[in-house]
Amino acid sequence: MALVRNWQIGREMSYWYPENRPKKQFAAVFDINKCIACQTCTLACKTTWTSGKGQEYMLWNNVESKPYGCYPLGWDVKLLNRLGAQEWDKASYSGQTIFEAAPAGERVLGWRPGERDYAYPNVGEDDCAGSVEKGASLQVPHLIWFFYLARICNHCTYPACLASCPRGSIYKRQEDGIVLVDQSRCRGYRECTRGCPYKKVFFNPLTGTSEKCIACFPKIEQGQQPQCFVNCIGKIRLAGWISKPDQARPENPLDFLVHIKKVALPLFPQFGLEPNVYYIPPIHAPKSFLHQLFGPAATEAVKTYQAAHSDADLAGLLSLFGCTQQVVPAWKRDGDFIVGLTDDAKEIVRVPFREPVHIAAPFDDKHQVARVNCP
Amino acid sequence: MQSLRSWSIAAPGILWLTALGCTRPAPPPPSTTIQMLAVPKLPLDPSDELWKKTPEYSAALIPQDLVDPRLMQPSTSSLRIRALTEGSHVAFRMEWTDETENNRSTPNEFGDGCAVQMPSKVKPTIPAPQMGEPGRPVQITFWNAAWQAVAEGRGDTLQDLYPRANVDHYPFQAAALKPDSPEQSEMAKRYSPARAAGNPMSRPPGAPVQDLQAEGPGSLSSLPHTTSKGSGRRIEHGWAVVITRELPAGMNEQPQGQVAFAVWDGAHEEVGARKMRTAWIPLVRPEKP
Repeated sequence: MALVRNWQIGREMSYWYPENRPKKQFAAVFDINKCIACQTCTLACKTTWTSGKGQEYMLWNNVESKPYGCYPLGWDVKLLNRLGAQEWDKASYSGQTIFEAAPAGERVLGWRPGERDYAYPNVGEDDCAGSVEKGASLQVPHLIWFFYLARICNHCTYPACLASCPRGSIYKRQEDGIVLVDQSRCRGYRECTRGCPYKKVFFNPLTGTSEKCIACFPKIEQGQQPQCFVNCIGKIRLAGWISKPDQARPENPLDFLVHIKKVALPLFPQFGLEPNVYYIPPIHAPKSFLHQLFGPAATEAVKTYQAAHSDADLAGLLSLFGCTQQVVPAWKRDGDFIVGLTDDAKEIVRVPFREPVHIAAPFDDKHQVARVNCP
Repeated sequence: MQSLRSWSIAAPGILWLTALGCTRPAPPPPSTTIQMLAVPKLPLDPSDELWKKTPEYSAALIPQDLVDPRLMQPSTSSLRIRALTEGSHVAFRMEWTDETENNRSTPNEFGDGCAVQMPSKVKPTIPAPQMGEPGRPVQITFWNAAWQAVAEGRGDTLQDLYPRANVDHYPFQAAALKPDSPEQSEMAKRYSPARAAGNPMSRPPGAPVQDLQAEGPGSLSSLPHTTSKGSGRRIEHGWAVVITRELPAGMNEQPQGQVAFAVWDGAHEEVGARKMRTAWIPLVRPEKP
């Protein structure tokens, strides 16, 4: 075990390998408040990558309802139960990560889903946290709530799948930080499906190897965002590159949202993997639940998001989500426009701060006809 | 008085005779080597009559507990081994107790298995018994019950594993593609990444065994071609498996070689490094006539 720095838990931790950050790290921000669980992302991924034999049950991308939805069944609560108390001392996690809590003879604390865990992808979907009593009134945070959590592989800085594999069949690319299973080397031991706490590695029973989200690396290599990003109806996703906190650049949209505004947070940072998908927490869910999912910074992140209407930069950058197929490594605000830029400051996309609105008169004088808004 | 004296002389004699010939002889000390028996042709069938005439070696199995992930709970305790050779190849018959047959490999099911390991070259210096070491490779032949089931006719589709599964459509079954055409096969391969990458694990196995080599834990790799053969059969309370493989280089130049074995119990989720294993066991050539 080596000692490595994990900025998400505010301390050093034990990991199977020494710290070896890639030259660039693929990362994403998902705005949970905008997700409607249409599953277009799921289908975009499914039709692109997992339509083959043995991949039928695989959902490299899935969207599940929280608190009760989960795929595979109970992926989060089963590990949370095993991990025990997860206390934070302000911004520093004082509990154990899954690497530090590994039992004797194991590389990580994990569990392996069985067939039945994969058999019910709809369990808990659209179930809210309680029943709505007669006479209940709406307040924020809602007393009765649920929200949609879209999930892909987090392409972690300290991947548990990679640490679990005794053969070194899983690797993290230096050029972009994407975590891949070497399909020519994997022997299907399923240590990775046991080790990944997010359960985003899947065993293919017809090839005898494990497979996982590849962050659409052939698209990333062309400067394009992955399929689940560009097909998102709700425009909740933005792909890019993230820096370490001490190297954050405000012109990098991911750095701006994660490090500078601190409005987007990692999922279960206490597991210790330094996951690289960051979520803008839902504003209507209870604080305690959000703390468990996103750590103690969740309360401030919600406040920042709720105040975005008075923060032109933040509100503007949020409107850049889903507006281009290209990865946007840099951005700037130009008056009432948000501009996405390449690394060498060439314009990729220009988005108005507010969509222009034109209200037509009810009567068209030129053609002497009344306008109607239905056929 | 005379008769009493006669009895007193005769009684120790009877006792001595009883001790000499009327009790069961002490069993021979357990063999510390595996003695190969010479035969003109190696049998692949575990129930071949030849095996009954072959001396048996009983090996104690120990958990792999040197490298993480380890096997923390011992399972299969011993392995009974017999060995035959026709000069260039060796056949091992392995038999062990395993009450549950596990011949599926799914997200949470693991096939029973066993393996034979020998140094790539028999030399006075012996590689580490746990998968060899850098510069001192070992060769391994691995048998798996899931491959045995496929070799015996189980199909290679989802329905063969899950008979009630239903799949609407695979892209390579589009009407534009002629069934079993090269174009269809090529497209199907695109949706089978391990197969497209040439991983031997992903091919429907022609034989239930695979030839591998290693130079230490974590370094196991497939040999380009599997020339070994194997055959497993369910017996009462367990498995009997025969693996035939080429004798390692140098075997005929040394008085004896080495062999080690491993057993995986699928019911205990044993796979990869989680296994029961033996230490090196001396493997002795048949005496020349």
